[in-house]
Amino acid sequence: MIALHSLCYRHLAIDALEIPPGLTSVIGPNGSGKTTLLRLCTGIDLPESGSVLIGDRSPRDAEIGWVNEFPDRNILFETVLDEVASPLRFRRMSSTETRERVDRCLEMCDIRHLRDRTIRELSGGEKILVAVAAALVHNPTVLILDECDSHLDASRTAALGQLIRKSGIPYIIQSTQQMEVAAQSDQVLYLDTGALRFFGSPKDVFFKLDGTPFYPLSWRCRA
Amino acid sequence: MKLILSGVVANRGEGAKDWSVLADGIFSEGVHLVSGDVGSGKTTLAQVLSGLLVPASGAVARDGIMSVMLAFQFPEYQVTGLTVREECESWGVDHGELLNAARLTGKEALSPLKLSRGELKRLHLACLLSHTYDLLILDEPFSSLDCSEKERVCQQLSERTSGITIIFTHEQQIFPRVDHIWEIAGGLLVYRGRVPDALSSWQHAPELVRNLLATGKCPANISPDDLVEAACRT
Repeated sequence: MIALHSLCYRHLAIDALEIPPGLTSVIGPNGSGKTTLLRLCTGIDLPESGSVLIGDRSPRDAEIGWVNEFPDRNILFETVLDEVASPLRFRRMSSTETRERVDRCLEMCDIRHLRDRTIRELSGGEKILVAVAAALVHNPTVLILDECDSHLDASRTAALGQLIRKSGIPYIIQSTQQMEVAAQSDQVLYLDTGALRFFGSPKDVFFKLDGTPFYPLSWRCRA
Repeated sequence: MKLILSGVVANRGEGAKDWSVLADGIFSEGVHLVSGDVGSGKTTLAQVLSGLLVPASGAVARDGIMSVMLAFQFPEYQVTGLTVREECESWGVDHGELLNAARLTGKEALSPLKLSRGELKRLHLACLLSHTYDLLILDEPFSSLDCSEKERVCQQLSERTSGITIIFTHEQQIFPRVDHIWEIAGGLLVYRGRVPDALSSWQHAPELVRNLLATGKCPANISPDDLVEAACRT
């Protein structure tokens, strides 16, 4: 479990929440605290009070893969190869194994054709796919994606969904503004003005959001 | 008023010389939707149409177009004010009314770059749409907006009654009412036609539109209201 207890940071306050393994979608209006929550779960930010525990570890002691919502803020290196290899090189992995794992990861993310390109030549969506590859390459325990689907087309979004499902990563937490994507998750977490409003299965959470723009359009059309 | 593309070839970056988009066609007054996959060249073509990039060959001619605006995909590169208030003032608009409409009241003193990504997009679009332009080009205007804001921006765009509006997007759920559909596929800009006739040949059509067409329920347009109306037909 990922356990949040008496968590306070800036305008976000969550008394208690236990996130089970699987795919969790965080939804809510702009400015509701989605990115803040995700940054606390990665350990990038530390709570002003309360705690986040991944199993029995703090996020900074856990293996986390993180993709920022701003594509350019994910990138440290000039080429795709160097960027995706960087988490392994920082861990002093051998060059042979690094090369093999990078190639496997690029293949898995369907961006092998970008391997030797420079980052500045990439589109926004391609940069996100590179960032996802860099987040996956070291087999994290938790993968956290901050609205990265907002930069992807439908087929890439579907492919990314399949990819992270197949990755075997125990905890995947993604924020999204695509309710059709959230509806495919194991659980949905709805934030509003810094507070946790609803958490549960997609069916339960969207039942409570019926009549709002957050109710999936395809569900409106099947009614 | 027309934007005329004659044999336009747009290239992206020196390291990608084998990558290009070929575009021919005329954008008339109305709302045009251009869809395409990640990396298909939407942003590059948007920059060529707005005059920010020079095409490798061919020509872009403006007939009767006196004012042009391009909304960047990433608003962080189009912000000039040090505070939200300054950003509004840089567009020559009253910040109180504008921030109220964009649900950003109370954030006047913040740096625009301290806003959440969705809030920054809201600020940027609110400033930009406070003016009228003969040619308005929007590059992924819906990315990062929450569902309520997408619907509000779509409503604003649907209400544009003059000028040429070109929306480049891979959005799959919430659209404004549009007049024409184009798409970029295989390095070529292809005109699919007027809506609703264009829907049947639209390769990037959202799953919901495809499902409606498959059941013989052709929506009048692609806004959420139009799709729900078509779905509810008996």
